[in-house]
Amino acid sequence: MLNGIPLEHFMIISAILFSAGLFSVLSRKNAIMILIGIELMINAGILNLVVFGAFDKQKNEGQVFALFAIVLAAAGVAVALAIILNVYRQFKTVEPNQVEEMKY
Amino acid sequence: MEVESIKLIETQHITTVIGAALGALLLPLLSFLIISFFKPRKGDWLAICSTFISFLLSLYCFTNIWNLQSYHYSAQWLNTGIIKLNAGLTLDNLSALMLVLVTLITTLVLIYSTEYMKGEKYYHRYFAHLSLFMFSMLGVVLADSLLLIYIFWELVGFSSYLLIGFWFDRDSAAAANKKAFIVNRIGDIAFFVGIMILFTQFRTLDLGALFGTADKAGLIQQSVVENGLWKFTDISGNAKTLNASMLTVAGLCIFAGAVAKSAQFPLHVWLPDAMEGPTSVSSLIHAATMVAAGVYLTARVFPLFSPDALTVITYIGAFTAFMAATIALTQNDLKKVLAYSTISQLGFMITALGIGAWQAALFHLVTHAFFKCLLFLGAGSVIHQLHHVQHKYHLDFDPQDMRLMGGLRKQLPVTYMVLLVASLSLAGLPLFSGFLSKDLILIGAWSWEKPGSAIIAVLLSVTSALTAFYIFRMIFKVFWGENRLQKTVENIDVSVHESGKAMTIPMMVLAIFSLFAAFSINPLHGAHSWIYEGLVVPLNSFNPKIQFTEFAESWVPIITVVLAVAMVLVARIAYYKQKMTFLTEHNFLYKFSYNAWYFDKLYNSVIVRSVVLLANFIRWFDINIVDGIVNGAATLVHQLSAVVDWIDRNIVDGSVNGIAWLAARIGDFIRGFQTGRVQQYMALGVFGLILIIVLSYIF
Repeated sequence: MLNGIPLEHFMIISAILFSAGLFSVLSRKNAIMILIGIELMINAGILNLVVFGAFDKQKNEGQVFALFAIVLAAAGVAVALAIILNVYRQFKTVEPNQVEEMKY
Repeated sequence: MEVESIKLIETQHITTVIGAALGALLLPLLSFLIISFFKPRKGDWLAICSTFISFLLSLYCFTNIWNLQSYHYSAQWLNTGIIKLNAGLTLDNLSALMLVLVTLITTLVLIYSTEYMKGEKYYHRYFAHLSLFMFSMLGVVLADSLLLIYIFWELVGFSSYLLIGFWFDRDSAAAANKKAFIVNRIGDIAFFVGIMILFTQFRTLDLGALFGTADKAGLIQQSVVENGLWKFTDISGNAKTLNASMLTVAGLCIFAGAVAKSAQFPLHVWLPDAMEGPTSVSSLIHAATMVAAGVYLTARVFPLFSPDALTVITYIGAFTAFMAATIALTQNDLKKVLAYSTISQLGFMITALGIGAWQAALFHLVTHAFFKCLLFLGAGSVIHQLHHVQHKYHLDFDPQDMRLMGGLRKQLPVTYMVLLVASLSLAGLPLFSGFLSKDLILIGAWSWEKPGSAIIAVLLSVTSALTAFYIFRMIFKVFWGENRLQKTVENIDVSVHESGKAMTIPMMVLAIFSLFAAFSINPLHGAHSWIYEGLVVPLNSFNPKIQFTEFAESWVPIITVVLAVAMVLVARIAYYKQKMTFLTEHNFLYKFSYNAWYFDKLYNSVIVRSVVLLANFIRWFDINIVDGIVNGAATLVHQLSAVVDWIDRNIVDGSVNGIAWLAARIGDFIRGFQTGRVQQYMALGVFGLILIIVLSYIF
């Protein structure tokens, strides 16, 4: 129990968040939206880490991992945005479906 | 009198004498090549110079060799390991004599030709071919092995082909040179067979080794015939045996080559036709080259002949001599008379060889060369002048037809004189060269002691008498009586004038050589002439040497001369006074003789026609059966390949293409998944994951 809120609720929220991210990744055309979806999915994972970390009172390993994950996500966003920016420069579009040159 | 044996020098170095002989041999070839390739407008001076230098070199050789020394230069030519062949020159009395004879006569003929052939379209070609002809003949004379002789022998045949067909735009000339060439080929094949037999037995073709030299017995003499086998043991002791008949066969085969070249029965038919060539060519062919080659060869290989072979040679020679003389009696063509006369005289030489009168044969070859050359050159002079008349007035007559001549002796005095000398020589009257040599042959024939010798002797004597008759028939018809050509054309003066110096001087030189003085001091007996004594009969293990009998030596010349003189008188009565007409043109004998014993007709109907028939059959066979088989096979292959083609296209290509098509389709299908769309991949991944989870729950 965490402040009276059962663990399942956290899990469900995390699952919903993950599914929303996944949906966004799969269905959006815009690369920015896909990136947002990815962020959502990472945050769902981080949420899980934090929740599970609540059961580790001595070391708080969950929280530590969450921090690492946040840093990683930030780094990932930075790299992804840089890629998107370069793709835009090159192709004048940010829609992955229209960036097809490497397919051939 | 025997000449003591002359030392033979075997050498592999070119000494002065050998160099001179080589020079004499190669100069005419050089002149031939230069004239042929550079085509000077006139090649006459070149040919004459080279021939004359060649003559001088020959003379040098001759003075160094005759009765002094023989040389044999030999160098390796071919070495195939088993067979080693040498090539070289042999220089002994015989070849030195021939060398001088050939070069001298060719020089004279060439000088004569400058006038005779003047204005010819292919003037330079004539001199080129004549040089080649002389080169080939010198090669035959100088060659030291049978193979080399054979090579030059063929060259003689080839160059005579060129010269006989000199006026190749005339059909008759083209036919004549073909005939000469083909008839000669028959002999050549036999000659080659003979060479091969000798090679099988002795493994060498060197003349000196085979037939011996003046002081050394050859391999032929070392071989023996016993118990029907022809045995030969070489130095290392290996014995070789062939059937004894092979000895005779080898001799006859080589003799057959001589038969063709020297125009002996039954291969004499080419020579009268060869008159289609220029007269100067005829004179060369009949005197020093070509026909002399046959006699020379027979003399060279003389030790080879077995008694049987010699008998055959004797009969062929005697028959030829008689037959040709009878034919010469009735010919109207001036050159034909001389042609048959040559055949007849060659018959004499061959008979002489057959009976063993070897020296007499070669002596006659030399004397005959001079007076026969002269006869032809004289006849050429007559024909040349008549040809001028024909050309000048555009008359249509045959300038060689004796029926149109007559009374020319005042218009052509030099020609008449030299022809008279030559004719007296040919007829065999004393004081002339022909008497010396022919007499020796007749004495030999009467001294010969073998069954049937009387027939030969009588035949030769009769022929000798006929010779006097036909040659004086020619003299009387051409030079005496009235000009019959004048009768046919009334308003034109057809008188001729003497030929120029280029023609008369060579004739006069030849006339000097037709007198006895050039050969013997004694005008009545030739046995002491320098040629007769200088030539040594080669050793012969199979045949004894002929010995002249007292009877023959004393009576034969007298009888011969009496007969000859009688015949000259008969000819005078018949053709000058025209009181005798015993040879009417409707007589069977006349026709028989005029048509040359119908040999041409016989050969045409029997041999030529059957050969043509056979050729036609073979052609038919070739077209229908051979070609049929080939074409059939081709069709079969064609059809088969069509089937293979179909299989290839449809089955092999089909399966290959099918596999490729399948791979392409699979590729196409698989490519459908590779959209390159990240989201799609991801979606598929997610659905796959879900599927796995669901499935893992179910199972």
